[in-house]
Amino acid sequence: MSLSSLTQALRSEFYVARYALGARLLIFIPSAAAAVQFMASKIADTGTAARDGLMNSVSFDDVTASNAWGHFVDGLDTGITLLFLLLVAQAAYSFSAEVENGTMRHQLIRCSSRRLIVMSKLLQLHALALMGVGILIVSSYLLSGLLWEFGPVVEDGFELISEAEIRDEITLGLRLALTPLPAAIALGLLLSVLANTATQAVVSALGITLAMDIFKGMLGDYAYYLYASFQPALIDQSYLQDVSRLVRGYSDVLIDDRVIQLNYWVPIPTLLVLVTASLIFVQTRKL
Amino acid sequence: MSTQTPALLISGLQKTYGNLDVLKGVNLTLTSGSIQGLVGLNGSGKTTTLECILGLQRFDQGEVSVLGLVPTDLCTAQGKVTAVFDSPSLNPILTVRQCLQHASLLSKQSRRHPKDLEKLLGLCQFSNFPIKTLSLGNKRRASIAHALISEPDLVIMDEPFNGLDAGGVDEVLLLIKTLNQERGTSFLLSSHQLPYLEDICSHLAILHEGKIIRSGQKSALLRSETNKVRLRTNDPVGAASALQTISGISCQPGTMDEEIWVSSDVMNAAAINSHLAEHRIPVYELATERASLGVLFRRLTQGSDS
Repeated sequence: MSLSSLTQALRSEFYVARYALGARLLIFIPSAAAAVQFMASKIADTGTAARDGLMNSVSFDDVTASNAWGHFVDGLDTGITLLFLLLVAQAAYSFSAEVENGTMRHQLIRCSSRRLIVMSKLLQLHALALMGVGILIVSSYLLSGLLWEFGPVVEDGFELISEAEIRDEITLGLRLALTPLPAAIALGLLLSVLANTATQAVVSALGITLAMDIFKGMLGDYAYYLYASFQPALIDQSYLQDVSRLVRGYSDVLIDDRVIQLNYWVPIPTLLVLVTASLIFVQTRKL
Repeated sequence: MSTQTPALLISGLQKTYGNLDVLKGVNLTLTSGSIQGLVGLNGSGKTTTLECILGLQRFDQGEVSVLGLVPTDLCTAQGKVTAVFDSPSLNPILTVRQCLQHASLLSKQSRRHPKDLEKLLGLCQFSNFPIKTLSLGNKRRASIAHALISEPDLVIMDEPFNGLDAGGVDEVLLLIKTLNQERGTSFLLSSHQLPYLEDICSHLAILHEGKIIRSGQKSALLRSETNKVRLRTNDPVGAASALQTISGISCQPGTMDEEIWVSSDVMNAAAINSHLAEHRIPVYELATERASLGVLFRRLTQGSDS
């Protein structure tokens, strides 16, 4: 596989992505969802503050509610959860749709091998994911800073958690949350290679992702060997949700060092297995 | 490009789907600079043959060489080989212009400007229309433009005339002829539109039940066909017995009333008419059916389901 052929395949992928609605949604929907969440929280906070003002009561929760860091992490959590689902769906759509409408045949004849196309799609989806995450982080930071104030967690004038500690926790939470992302993309891509139609690929990819989310609780400790256990999900908790509590001053958040190590390492072999399977199956299927 | 080097060489190509032998040893040679027509009934294996040539399907046995490359390495030709498929196969969300620009990204070959091709194929007014909004005929024009953007040496076309109006067909035929004459581009055309193929192809091949049953230069193939005369008379039985006394003539009843088909190498329509007049058999309709690809094709594939 030559680098120039890969570059050519990537240029082709990005050219189409420029005009594809799916790619735009993937980049902007997470940020938009986070923004909607911020607005809803601000309205709720304002309502609560007005009620408390009338009742003349101030609690610890009220103080932490006005700290932007907690809202920022909530926005990231929502955005990344959506990003995972959108990415799996987009990955599942990417290959199968091109097979279905026949456009892939031109690429195969003119410039790329089957495996190169799979690799270029994998790279393109990662690039889209990075753009989505980047825009999500920047927009969430700006919007939460606009609506609330960033600061340390303080109780009775005593600083419980400094801003530097909060930033460290958020960085760790983001790292842990984003580590399973390549495996999720690879799952979508494998299903895309295997499926006969784009609809079949997208439905099965989303179905399997949600099923893993539902059933991982039944696996007990074995669930830690499933990459999906570590991704922010609709149903289950991820560490990013714990970070949200942590930066609000709750001290009951604990994460086992072993779990952190599994979070870092389990998605990697999963990614390799899924990509290898895609590269094998793509050689045998009719395009 | 040398006119002697084969642009495409297929030898003993075999392909099976489950228990069904679709291709049973296809042999075909396409000389560089020629326009080869491939005809066959539905299900005879034309599209499968093209897909095997293009590396889109694996084949069980045989050898295929496209511009000296095996089909799986076709991508290394960088746009020297392109294809027009029976379905338009273009990205429906892109406009015609974007589709052509995307096509030029797919090859390192010298490229035509998308505007030139749009003009050549009458697509200028649809330049900014998404492919999904175009009519079938215009989608076909766009897919032909897509195939020609890299100035290929070999173009493989599956049903290129489908959906095109008469004017569109003329444009495409002219374009193929021009590219073939000016650039020496070779074409492999698979179609059911036999008159168009007969008009444009230099070579023809008839694929039947997974095998090439006849192939060669068009002129040689059609020369081998005997001209037929169709006549209608009040006395078809008498006419047939009067004609069959002459050696080299055979008569067959036609499907219409009082109709006879006469095959003859020794007499033309005028002579047949004179002969029947001598026998006082009046002829009220007489026509010569020229040897054509359609006639040859029907004769060779007679009795098969179409």
